[in-house]
Amino acid sequence: MAELTFTPVIGIEIHIRLKSDSKLFCSCSTNTDAPANTNICPVCMGLPGTLPHLNHRIVEQGMLAGFALNCGIRHKSLFFRKSYFYPDLPKGHQVSQCDLPITTSGYIEVHDSEGKLKKIRVHHLHLEEDVGSLHHSASDGRLEGAATSYVDYNRSGTPLAEIVSEPDVSSAKEAVEYVMTLRRRVIYSGASDVELEKGMMRFDANVSMKCSDGRWGKKVEVKNMNSFKALEHAIEFEIKRQKKIMLQGGEVKQETRHWNDAKGITSSSRVKESYRKFIVEPDLPPLYISQEWIDRVASRMPEMPDVRANRYVNDWEIPQEVADVLTDDKNLADYFESCVSSGANPVRAAHWVRTEVLRVLNEKGQKIADFSIKPEVLAGLVKRVDEGKLSTTQGKEVFDYMCANNSGIDDSVKALGITEGGIAGNALNDIIASVIAANPDVLDEIKSGRDKKGKKLKFLQGLVMKETKGQAKPQEVAEAIAEAVK
Amino acid sequence: MELYELNLHILIEGLKAKKFSPAEIFQSCKKRIDQCEENIHAFITRTDDKPQSIENPNGLLAGIPTVLKDNLCTKGIRTTAASKILGNWKPPYNATAWEKLRSAGAVLMGKVNMDEFAMGNTCGNSAFGPTHNPNDISRVPGGSSGGSAAAVSAGYVPFSLGSDTGGSIRQPASFCGVYGFKPTYGMVSRYGLISYGSSLDQIGPFARTVQDLQLIMSIISGHDPMDSSSFRNKDHDFTHSEDVSIKGKRIAVVKEFRDFTLDAPISDAIKRTIKILEDEGAIITEVSLPVVAKYAVACYYALAMSEAHTNLERYDGVRLGYTVKDAAGIKEMFERVRSYGFGAEVKARIIAGTCLTEPSRCEEYYVAATKVRTLIAQEFSRAFGETDFILQPVTPSLPGKIGENDEDALKGYEADLYTLPVNLAGLPGLSFFTGYSGNLPVGLQLIGPRWSDVSMLDTGVILERHLGSPKIANGGVK
Amino acid sequence: MKLTSEEVNEIALESRLLLNEQELAGAVRYINTFLDKLDCFRELDLKDVEPFSFAEALECPLREDKVIPFPDNEAILHESEHVDGSYFKVPRIMEE
Ligand SMILES: [Zn+2]
Repeated sequence: MAELTFTPVIGIEIHIRLKSDSKLFCSCSTNTDAPANTNICPVCMGLPGTLPHLNHRIVEQGMLAGFALNCGIRHKSLFFRKSYFYPDLPKGHQVSQCDLPITTSGYIEVHDSEGKLKKIRVHHLHLEEDVGSLHHSASDGRLEGAATSYVDYNRSGTPLAEIVSEPDVSSAKEAVEYVMTLRRRVIYSGASDVELEKGMMRFDANVSMKCSDGRWGKKVEVKNMNSFKALEHAIEFEIKRQKKIMLQGGEVKQETRHWNDAKGITSSSRVKESYRKFIVEPDLPPLYISQEWIDRVASRMPEMPDVRANRYVNDWEIPQEVADVLTDDKNLADYFESCVSSGANPVRAAHWVRTEVLRVLNEKGQKIADFSIKPEVLAGLVKRVDEGKLSTTQGKEVFDYMCANNSGIDDSVKALGITEGGIAGNALNDIIASVIAANPDVLDEIKSGRDKKGKKLKFLQGLVMKETKGQAKPQEVAEAIAEAVK
Repeated sequence: MELYELNLHILIEGLKAKKFSPAEIFQSCKKRIDQCEENIHAFITRTDDKPQSIENPNGLLAGIPTVLKDNLCTKGIRTTAASKILGNWKPPYNATAWEKLRSAGAVLMGKVNMDEFAMGNTCGNSAFGPTHNPNDISRVPGGSSGGSAAAVSAGYVPFSLGSDTGGSIRQPASFCGVYGFKPTYGMVSRYGLISYGSSLDQIGPFARTVQDLQLIMSIISGHDPMDSSSFRNKDHDFTHSEDVSIKGKRIAVVKEFRDFTLDAPISDAIKRTIKILEDEGAIITEVSLPVVAKYAVACYYALAMSEAHTNLERYDGVRLGYTVKDAAGIKEMFERVRSYGFGAEVKARIIAGTCLTEPSRCEEYYVAATKVRTLIAQEFSRAFGETDFILQPVTPSLPGKIGENDEDALKGYEADLYTLPVNLAGLPGLSFFTGYSGNLPVGLQLIGPRWSDVSMLDTGVILERHLGSPKIANGGVK
Repeated sequence: MKLTSEEVNEIALESRLLLNEQELAGAVRYINTFLDKLDCFRELDLKDVEPFSFAEALECPLREDKVIPFPDNEAILHESEHVDGSYFKVPRIMEE
C-alpha cells in the first residue's frame, strides 16, 4: 500500500487594530493603556438610546490597509449587527461590515516549500468594532477556572480591520510568512502600527486536511493566537493532531478549538458559539465611497516593501537578502535611500546600513528615527571610504566614535589620530585588483603554495606601491594584498 | 379659567405679557396632576415635587411644563422604558429632543407611562400598571405613548413628547382627543430615544392645538450629528400662520380600505372631514395601495421584531439596571436578569425576532420583509404622485375597555393597519381631533410624502378651524 | 405548527430567556401564529426586489477623528451594581 500523504488546507483570519485617535463610533480616546474604564462614554458602553457615528479617518485607514493587500474598494459597504452574549460586548452584538465589506478581494505573495512565489488570496477586509478586555481572577490569569472576571471597556469600540484569507495556505511556515508580509505592508500603508506586544494583531486559523486517499477532514477553527510563534505552533499542532486522527481512520470533528500558549496545545472550546444571520445595522446608513475619494487615498499609498526591495535588487544590484532587511522597516528604508540620494554608492551604503547601523540600533535598543548619525553624514563617511581617504577599518572606527560621542566626521577623524589623504579602502582595493589581473601567473604561483618565502607577494606589493605613487601605507597594502589573493 | 387649561401658545403670550409667572403655571399644573393622577396613572416618575430651575429664562418655552415618554433619556432622572429590566437607571446624558426643549426653557414635570419598550397599543403593557383614558377612565388611553397623550388630554401639561414606531403617537392622540404628530423619519434626532425598531422609530409631539405642534416641531426638528439617520440640509419652517389654503390640493382616500369595517363615529368623521376639505377647495380623489393593505402588518411586525431583539440584547445586568449578584456563572446571570426583567410581550417579541433572523429562516422572513418594505415604499411613492395627502382612520374602533383583548396580543396587531405603513415608508402622519362621540374623542389621520411635514400641519390648522379644538378631559374627576 | 415547543425553548435560551411552562406554551402559540401570517410573503415575487433598510438614499455621515472625552465616566460606573474598584466584576464565564 502506498504511503498516505496529507495536504493541510489553511485559511487565516486576522484582526488588526487600525490607527486613529478616537474610537470607531464615538469620540473616546483609543488609548487602551489608560486606567480601566476611563475612556468610555454612553455610545461605546452601549447605553440605551445611544447611536453610532462613524469616524472618517478609520474609513480611510481601512482603504489604505485594503490597498496594502492589493484589494479593491467597494463604492458601497454596509454595517451589520453580529449577535452574541458576552460580558465584554456592551450591546450584545458587534457592529461589523462582515456581509458587505469595504474592500473586494486581494492577495499577498509568499514562498512555497520549493521557494517559488505563491499568491495567498485575501477574500476581503472589513471594518468592525473591538470589544472590551477581560482580566481573569485565576492565578494564571486565564479564563479557565476563573471564578470571576473583570471587564475594562476602554477597548470597546476601538477600530479593527478583519482580514479573511482564502484557504490557500499549506503550511505553518507559509502562514507565518503571510502574516509577516501582510503586517509589514499594512504598517507601510500607515493604516496601523500593528504593535504585536500591544495585542494589535490577533489570529484565528481554519485548518483542515486533505488526504491522498481522497478523504477530506472537517474544518477546525483555532482561536486565540496573539503572536507569530503562537500561530505557527498552533497550526503545526493542529496539522499533527488531525493527521494522527485520519491515519488511525478516525474522523476530525468540526469544532472551535482554543490555543493554549502556555501548554502549547489546542483544546476543544467549551463556549458554545451560536451562528446567527446578521441583520443590517439600522442606525448606520450605507457607507458610500466615491472614486474620487478612493483615488485621493490611493495617492497617499507609499511604495510597498516588496516592490521597494525588488527595485533595490534590479536598479542597484543589492543582494535580495540585504534588500529584504532594509525594507522590513519603512523608516530604515527611507534612511537608506536618503544616504543614496546624498551621493553614497547604493551597494556600499546598503552594507553599511545593514551591518553597522542595525548593529548600533540593536545595541542601543533604538529606532532608526532616533539614530544620531543623519543619513547625509553617513553618506559622507561611506564616500570617504569609497574614495580611499579612509580604510574600511578606519571608517568603522570613525563610525563607532561618532555614535559614541555624537560628533561629526572631521572631529572624529582628528580625535582618532587618523591622517587622511593616502590611498586606502576601496580605491586601494581597486588598484590591487587591476595589478593582480595583469599578473595571473604570479597569482597562480602564490595560490599553488610555491611562494613559500613570500617573494611573489613582495613583488605584487612593489607593483601596487608604484601604482599608488607611494600614497598608500605599506602595512595596509600588505594586508589588503594578502586578503585579495586568499 | 385655570392656567393649566390654557394651550401652549396662549401660555407663551401670557408669560410674555407678564399676565402670570412660570411659578403660577407650575403650581396650576401640579395641582391638576395631584387632582387626577390617582384616576389616570400617567406617571412613572414625577419630578414636580418642587419648582425646577429654568435652564434658559429667555427661551421660547421658558417656564412651560412638559412631560416625556419614559423611553427618552433624561440625565440624572430615572428612565425605565416601562420595564423592570432598567431598574433604577439614571442616564448620564439627555436625549437630543429633550436637550432642545430644556435649552428653550421647558420644565420637566415627570416621565410618563408607556407600553414596555414601546411594544403595545394600549399602555397596559407596562411594568408600572396601566394608564387610564382621561376622557373615560375605564378605557385605555392607547399606546404605546399613552402617558404622553393622557397628560396633555387631562391638562397636566400643554404639550408632551412621545415616540411612534407603528402608530404609538397617532393612536393614543386619537384615543385621548389631542393632536399627535409623527414627523418624517430623520426629521427629529433619535439620539437618546431607547430603541424599539430603529428604522421605524421617530419622536414627535402631542398638544391640544395644531399651532402648538408647529411650535414644538420648530424646536425639536433639525439635524443632529449624534444620529446618523438624521437629515442634513433640510430646512423646514414650522412657523404658524392662519393664512393658509388647501385650494387645489389633492386629498385621497385609499380604495382598499373602503370595505374595511369602521366604528360608525369614525366613518361619520371621515364623511364630515371630506366635506370640509371640499368646501375649502381641495380635490378629493382615490388612490390604490393593494400591497400596503394586504402585507403591511406582517411586514411591519417582522421588521420591528427583528430589529427589536438586537436592540434588547444589551440588557444583561452588567452595566446598568436590574441585576442579580449571586449567579454562579455569567450565563445564569444573563438568563435570570432577562427572564425576570422583561415582561411577557417583550419576551414573545424577542423570541420571534430571534427566530426570524436565524440563519435557516432569515431569507424567508427577515430578508423577505425588507423587500416587501421596498414594495410598500414604492407604492406610497406612486400614490403621492397622484395625491398630496391621504386621509384615513387612525384605528378602526374607539378606545376599548382596560383589560379587553389582553389574552390575544396578535389580534391587537391588526388594529395597527392604518398607522404602521407610515413608519415602513418613513412618512409623516398627523392624528387630528374631529369631535366627540359621547364622551369619547374621535380622531382621524392625514399622511403625506416624506418632508411634507410643514404643509401637513398647515392643513391641520384648516381642519382644526372647522372641526374645533378638543376640550380638556375631565380626568375622572366627578 | 412550524415550531415545536422544544425548538421555541431552544431559541429562547439562545436569547438568554428562561420560560416557565405557561410562558413557553404562550410563546409557541404566538410564534406559530405569527409565522403563519408571514406565509403571505410567498404570494409576492420578491426575486428582483432590493431590500429596504433605510428610509431614503441616505449616506452614512462621517465624523472627524477628534478625541472628545466624556466628562462623567463616574456617572456611568455609578449605575452598575457590579463595579468593583474601576472594573466591572462578573461571575464565571467559562462553564465547567
Ligand atoms: Zn465612547
